[in-house]
Amino acid sequence: MLNRIGGKYDVIVVGGGPGGMGAALGARDSGAERVLILDREPEAGGILLQCIHSGFGLHYFKEELTGPEYAERFLEKAIQYDVDLATNSYVSGIAIDSNGTKQVRIMNEQRGLFTVDTKSVVLSMGCRERTRGSIRIPGTRPSGVLTAGLAQKLVNLEGYLPGKRVAILGSGDIGLIMARRLTLEGCEVVGVFEIMPYSNGLTRNVVQCLDDFGIPLHLSTMVAYIYGRDRVEKITVAPVDKDLKPDMRRARDVTCDTLLLSIGLIPENELSQSLGIHLDVITGGPRVSSTLETSMRGVFACGNVLHVHDLVDFVTQESVLAGQFAAEWSRGILRPMDNIRLVPGDNVHYCLPHTLSPEREHTIYMRCKQALKPCRIRVGNLIEKKLRFVVPAEMIMFKIKPDLLEKFHGDTLRIDLVPDAQGETNG
Amino acid sequence: MAESAQFICIGCPIGCPLQLQHTGGKITEISGHECNRGAKYARQEFTDPRRSLSTTVAISGAKGKRLPVKVTEPVEKDRVIEAVRIIHALDVEAPVRLGQVLIHNLMGEENLNVVACRSMERTSTG
Repeated sequence: MLNRIGGKYDVIVVGGGPGGMGAALGARDSGAERVLILDREPEAGGILLQCIHSGFGLHYFKEELTGPEYAERFLEKAIQYDVDLATNSYVSGIAIDSNGTKQVRIMNEQRGLFTVDTKSVVLSMGCRERTRGSIRIPGTRPSGVLTAGLAQKLVNLEGYLPGKRVAILGSGDIGLIMARRLTLEGCEVVGVFEIMPYSNGLTRNVVQCLDDFGIPLHLSTMVAYIYGRDRVEKITVAPVDKDLKPDMRRARDVTCDTLLLSIGLIPENELSQSLGIHLDVITGGPRVSSTLETSMRGVFACGNVLHVHDLVDFVTQESVLAGQFAAEWSRGILRPMDNIRLVPGDNVHYCLPHTLSPEREHTIYMRCKQALKPCRIRVGNLIEKKLRFVVPAEMIMFKIKPDLLEKFHGDTLRIDLVPDAQGETNG
Repeated sequence: MAESAQFICIGCPIGCPLQLQHTGGKITEISGHECNRGAKYARQEFTDPRRSLSTTVAISGAKGKRLPVKVTEPVEKDRVIEAVRIIHALDVEAPVRLGQVLIHNLMGEENLNVVACRSMERTSTG
C-alpha cells in the first residue's frame, strides 16, 4: 500500500478512527477519485478498537455493536470503496502552496519523511484525555496513576492489568466502563469519586457498571492527595463544598495501588494550530462553517477533533458530511458563503457549526450548560420546541430547514435553552 | 403480603426512580416511570434481569494479544461472573473471522453463543 502512495490526492484524511473513515467514505460518495487515510497507529479504527463494550451503532446501523465490530464494518467499506490507507504514518505538518495545493508531510518507518499533495484535507485526529497535570492533584509521583482510556488500552488490547486495587476519579462513561471491566478481570475497584454533585456518565452505566457490582459512587468528593514512593499506596479523598473546595476535616484515606483518571477529553489540535486555524475556546476544536470547513480554505474538520461527541453514530453522520464537502471542494464546486452566525445564548455551552447559509438544511450540534427538565429550545424567532430534558452529558442535535432560514433577514441567530413554564432545574 | 422493589430506569438520562409492588412474586403495580420504557424495564429487572456481556480472550498467532468477544444475547445478571470465567478459559488460535462462534450454547443456554468481535489475520511470526 505504501508504495502506491504518491501523485496528487483529491482528499487526504488525517486520522483513521470513525471520523476519518466516515469522511473518506463521504468523499468517495461525492465523487472524489483518490482518497487517502493516514493513521499513526499500526491499524485503523481509532479508539473504537479498545472500546470492546456494546452500545455503538444504534442510530447508524439500527443494532447494538461493540467498538471493534463498528470499526470493522467501516474498514470493510473503505476497502470496497477503494480508499487508500496508510498506517504507522504520522502527519508532521501540512503546507499550502500558492495554488492552494496542500502538501501533507508524513513520517513513516519504511519511507522516512515524505510529502504527498492533495486538493483538500479533512482533519480527524480525535481527542486525548486530560491527565493529572490538568487538575494538579497534590502528592508524590508514583507509578499507578493513569488515565482511564490508557488503562482500557492496556487491558483490552495489550492484555495487562494496571493494578489490583483501583480507585477511579471522575464518573464519565469511560471511568464507569473501566470500573466494570476491571472488576470482571479480577481487580478490586474500591470506589468512584466525582467532584460534581451528579454523575457525568449515563444512568445506564452507573447502574450496570457500578450498582451491579456494589462499587460505591462518591459524589461531591475529590482526590486531595496521592501517597506512595514507587507505587501508589493510598489516596486522600475529601468532600467538597458548593465552591468545589475540599473540607479537609472530613478527609479520609483510601488504600489502593492504582488511581484511574476519567476527567475529560481535549480535542487534539496541534496540527490545526500549526496551520494557523482558528480554534473555538469552548470546544477546543476548529471554528467551522456549515460545510465543516475550518478558517483555512480546503481544510475540513470532523469528529472529536472538532468537539467531543458522546455517540460514535453522530461522529459518523458529521464526518460523512465533512468528507462530502471536502470532495466538492476538490472538484471545484463551491457552496455559497455562509451569511448567518450561529451563537450560543442562555444555558447553551456551545453550538456548531459557527455559521449557516440559507441555501440548504443544516444539522446543529450543541450542548447545554445545566440540566433542565422540561425545557424549550429557541432558535432566534424561527424555532421554538419543547424538549423533555437536557443534560450536559448528552449532546443535543436538531435540523434547521432552508425555508425557515430564507425568512430570516438578520446576520446572527441565537440559540437559547429556557425552562418550560412548569419546569424545574436540577444539577 | 405486599412487597416492593426499587430500580433506576436506564432508558434515558432522566433515570426515573421506579417502584414495583408485588405480592408473592406477582407484580401488582409499577410507578415512577415517565414513559413506557420504564415500566417495561422494571418488569424485566424484576422477573429476569439480564446484562449484555463482552470481554477479551487470549489469542495466539496474531498481531494482537487479545481478541474482543461478546455473548450474542444478554446473560442472566447473577451468572455474569460465571460466564466470564468460562469465556476467559478460551485460548484462540488465529486466524479468526468477525462473528465466528467460539462457544456454542454458553452455560447450556440455547442461543447464547460467544462470538469474535473482529477479524484477526494469522501472522508468520505467530
